[in-house]
Amino acid sequence: MTPTAATRRAPAPAAGTAHRITATALRIAGVVARRALLLVVLLAVVFAAVELLPGDAADAASERGESAADLAARRHLLGLDRPLWERFADWMTALPAGDLGTSAQGQKVTDLLADPLPNTLVLAASAFVITVVSSLLLGCWAASKPGGRGDRIVSHLSTAAFAVPEFVVSVSLLLVLSLWTGWLPAATVTGGDGRPATWTMLIMPVLALAVPQTGWNTRVVRGALADQASAPHVEAAHLDGLPPHVVLLRHQLPGAVPAVATGLATSTGLLFGGAVVVETLFNYPGVGSVLAGAVAARDTPLIAGVVMSAGAVISAVLLAADLVRHATLGARA
Amino acid sequence: MTAAPPAATYRPARGARRRTVTLVAVAALPPLLSLAGPLIAPHRLGTPVTSPFATPGDGAVLGGDLLGRDVLSRVLHGGTPLILGALLVATVTTAAATLTGSLAVLRPRVGRAVERAADVAILLPPLLGIMLIALAWPGGGRWAVIAAAVVLGTPYAVRVVAASAAPLATAGWVEAALGRGESTAYIALREILPNLRATVLTLFGLRFVEAVYVISMAGFLQIGPQPPASDWSLMVRENAPGVLLNPWAVIAPGLAIALLAVTVNLVTLSLAPDTTAKAVHRA
Repeated sequence: MTPTAATRRAPAPAAGTAHRITATALRIAGVVARRALLLVVLLAVVFAAVELLPGDAADAASERGESAADLAARRHLLGLDRPLWERFADWMTALPAGDLGTSAQGQKVTDLLADPLPNTLVLAASAFVITVVSSLLLGCWAASKPGGRGDRIVSHLSTAAFAVPEFVVSVSLLLVLSLWTGWLPAATVTGGDGRPATWTMLIMPVLALAVPQTGWNTRVVRGALADQASAPHVEAAHLDGLPPHVVLLRHQLPGAVPAVATGLATSTGLLFGGAVVVETLFNYPGVGSVLAGAVAARDTPLIAGVVMSAGAVISAVLLAADLVRHATLGARA
Repeated sequence: MTAAPPAATYRPARGARRRTVTLVAVAALPPLLSLAGPLIAPHRLGTPVTSPFATPGDGAVLGGDLLGRDVLSRVLHGGTPLILGALLVATVTTAAATLTGSLAVLRPRVGRAVERAADVAILLPPLLGIMLIALAWPGGGRWAVIAAAVVLGTPYAVRVVAASAAPLATAGWVEAALGRGESTAYIALREILPNLRATVLTLFGLRFVEAVYVISMAGFLQIGPQPPASDWSLMVRENAPGVLLNPWAVIAPGLAIALLAVTVNLVTLSLAPDTTAKAVHRA
């Protein structure tokens, strides 16, 4: 235990406890409210953007030989003749009840996303876990001998890795692991329940997503550890004669947590974007194909549903990072 | 810890300049090679010279693609649009961010607006944004993707510049200029901007890499370049079904994209002063 950490965790006097709990609760509520507000703003922007697309869902769903009156009737049926803000307000008020609205084809958006969304979440979450573990391991290993050969190799490899688009990584994996060695299946076969038939089909898509993000986050971990290396309590721990790995894990790493959490949280959006591409390449049954179809069909509710789901997950991860920062830095944040 | 010998403090200065020149040359090599590519391509682009997915040999060094066109010639041609597009995106984004960022530290209201815009932009996965913008402009092709990359990339870039410029806003010479009654534009352009050279150069390099990423991902999803065009990411997509027959039709363009992005990224980050690299990274 370092002196700073000890004072920070010292029990508070009983009189101040209730007050402090209220203050903490208020601060957390503020953080949550801010994230929720940002999500609403994003949805409003997306709604408006889809509205600016030429043509609408009634055009996109029209068949050959329909008259203008038919089109107008469908437009009325889909509620497209109402003002934009009214549709947005309707959609937003239905949201808390778990209702994402009805797609332009007349199906419930929640039904359309029920199968693909969990698949994409499994894909992105597995890639996220691998990213967290491997970037922490690589970053700590590199920081254990600053300037050493390992450090330089990790630094160059991670810089190289995060520059490469996921589809290039995917194609290389496909060539090596599937076509040349035959270890893994090249395309995902979907089972009867709408999920990939075996878990081995997840390996390549997950790796393709995790490699670039690991590169990025390893750099963040390494940089944050380097910042901590010159902190007074870390130097004191070195002078106390503690073994280097203890100083690294117990004294340097805790201070690096806020920066690392922020870095990892920003990876979530990139994981989602990458997932769309990787799903296309591996024929994986996720939201990628739903999204491509929805954009082609100008299906506002469905696009908004996908953006909402992605935005909600990203917001949740960013919120977690906010809370980690608050927990480590306390009132100083 | 032992003190460094005094001689060592002088030598790196000259060595560093030579190192900089070498590294810049290394980074410029892949773009220059691919810009010169069309001049040395052995075959015509559109005409088949061999059978579909033919293996290397018979005048086609890297074999044939899905229509039997020469893979090598198409790879030599396919980099130009990607590189020019990425250069354009990097230039516009960096210029816009530098101007707005220098202003943002002088005008707190601009600064707050930028922060909020970046907070919202981070919730939209970049690829979703590209799809929306590219589809709002059908027939926009490459230009739609370039516009999307600029719009989505600028908030982050402004945040980076504003973060590096913040300490300068309270510097003595800026306060002196404020005291002289200089205009905001003068202070932003003449007092703050010249001190951001390192940040702006690093930002330009990283924005180029990011633009290569975004444009090639969009190309792979067939937003932007359309089939008869020769384009690296499009080649990966359209030749993927024949990867078993002629792997080079996929490996060569994939390798070209990777090589371009990796060299520029490595060189940019090893040239950047530590503090700048850190600032650009944390955004």
